[in-house]
Amino acid sequence: MTKKVVVDYDLCEANAVCMGIIPEVFDLDDQDNLNVLDDEVTPEREQLIREAVRQCPRQAISIVEE
Amino acid sequence: MTKPSVVFDPFSDEYYNDPYDIYLRMQDEAPVYYSAEHDFYALTRHADVAAALKDHETYSSSRGCDLSMIRSEEGVQKSIIFMDPPDHRYLRSLVNKAFTPRAVQSQRETIEHLVDQYLSKVDPEHFDVVADFSGPFPVEVITRMAGVPEEYRQKVREWIDTSLSREPGQMGLTEAGMAASIESGMYYYKLAQDRRANPQDDMISRLIAAEVPDDAGGTRTLDDIEIAGFTSLLGGAGAETVTKLVGSAVVTFARHPEQWEKLRNDRSLLPGAVEEMLRFDGPVHYNVRFTLREATLHGVTIPAGKPVFLMKAAANRDPRAFSDAGVFDIERDRTEAQNMGFGYGIHSCLGAALARLETIIAMDRLLDFMPRYEVQWDGLQRVHMQNVAGYHHVPVKVL
Repeated sequence: MTKKVVVDYDLCEANAVCMGIIPEVFDLDDQDNLNVLDDEVTPEREQLIREAVRQCPRQAISIVEE
Repeated sequence: MTKPSVVFDPFSDEYYNDPYDIYLRMQDEAPVYYSAEHDFYALTRHADVAAALKDHETYSSSRGCDLSMIRSEEGVQKSIIFMDPPDHRYLRSLVNKAFTPRAVQSQRETIEHLVDQYLSKVDPEHFDVVADFSGPFPVEVITRMAGVPEEYRQKVREWIDTSLSREPGQMGLTEAGMAASIESGMYYYKLAQDRRANPQDDMISRLIAAEVPDDAGGTRTLDDIEIAGFTSLLGGAGAETVTKLVGSAVVTFARHPEQWEKLRNDRSLLPGAVEEMLRFDGPVHYNVRFTLREATLHGVTIPAGKPVFLMKAAANRDPRAFSDAGVFDIERDRTEAQNMGFGYGIHSCLGAALARLETIIAMDRLLDFMPRYEVQWDGLQRVHMQNVAGYHHVPVKVL
């Protein structure tokens, strides 16, 4: 089973909090579109990704197990 | 011996004068507070407030966000702050692109210009931080973005101020507040009609042109009443809040001069300082929701159909969430718990990035203008409003 990052783009308002926490996963382009650069929740990244999930003011990010 | 149980009366002088001690007692003694007098509930602990803000299926905004609105039988005005999904999402998405951290950078020059303009006019011997400075400038920024002509921008602030004020002990609008509310509603309605005839490059014109899904699976445009309500909300939200945040911060820093000194010497601490200002004494103390279904926590069941106060300012001082929660520390570890100052979840502050930018610029200029200052304590005057707290007057003398 692997864990993946999922963004609800209806909720996302490009606050860039997630990118500030872990830019290797979350990237906002200059049009305010959020791109998930790598959606795999590896053990090394898990703590920071969870921090991004918690700090997203819109609660637009989640982690799902596949 | 039994201690008298804690009383939270949101319209009392005791509460207006010192809310924070009441919050600590509510958290300890009554985490699910019930007011028999006004028949409402209140949540104050950080974990409970955060969870409730995320749970819009239980805690609905559709009846309004203050107690008198929820009580009212009339039904609320159509406005994003009083909506649940999916309508909330359709309407918020019409304006949210203008408020991202990237997009609000386009307002930087306007803000700097206004901040400098107002500061250049004040007397350093008798400077009222709110009346002369943090009151007048934010309303200019937001109403300019919305499309309100210059000559009406300060009028907007007067309307908001008057309509939010409450007599001690009173829940509803004052007579003057009602008149201001009607006058402002009529003004925005007429402005919407003007812009419909003559579109400009502003938010009102973009709202007029926008289409949202309707109930029949098609799309529709907004009517003039909806546009008037939307513009009025933006004006209110963008005018009152930074005003109070900056005013309260000047009072807090006067009590913690070592923090002011630290910030003056290292401006890279400004973004963190603004977050701490929001946590320690932010403008929005609570919003009220309405339960669509029952909720049980800490052994208490809140029935469906009840007003519930979600006390963000209490959550931000919860010792269960923050170390030394009652200490003002601009270098605090911000990852410890979520700051509730801008709310959380679907109704979290749309203008957060704009508010941060305005506040950072305002504080940066104040640090230069008043490197040392004293508050004229006997002239300090708190607002008596519902949902928000802060000062009408913060007189200082620059040293």
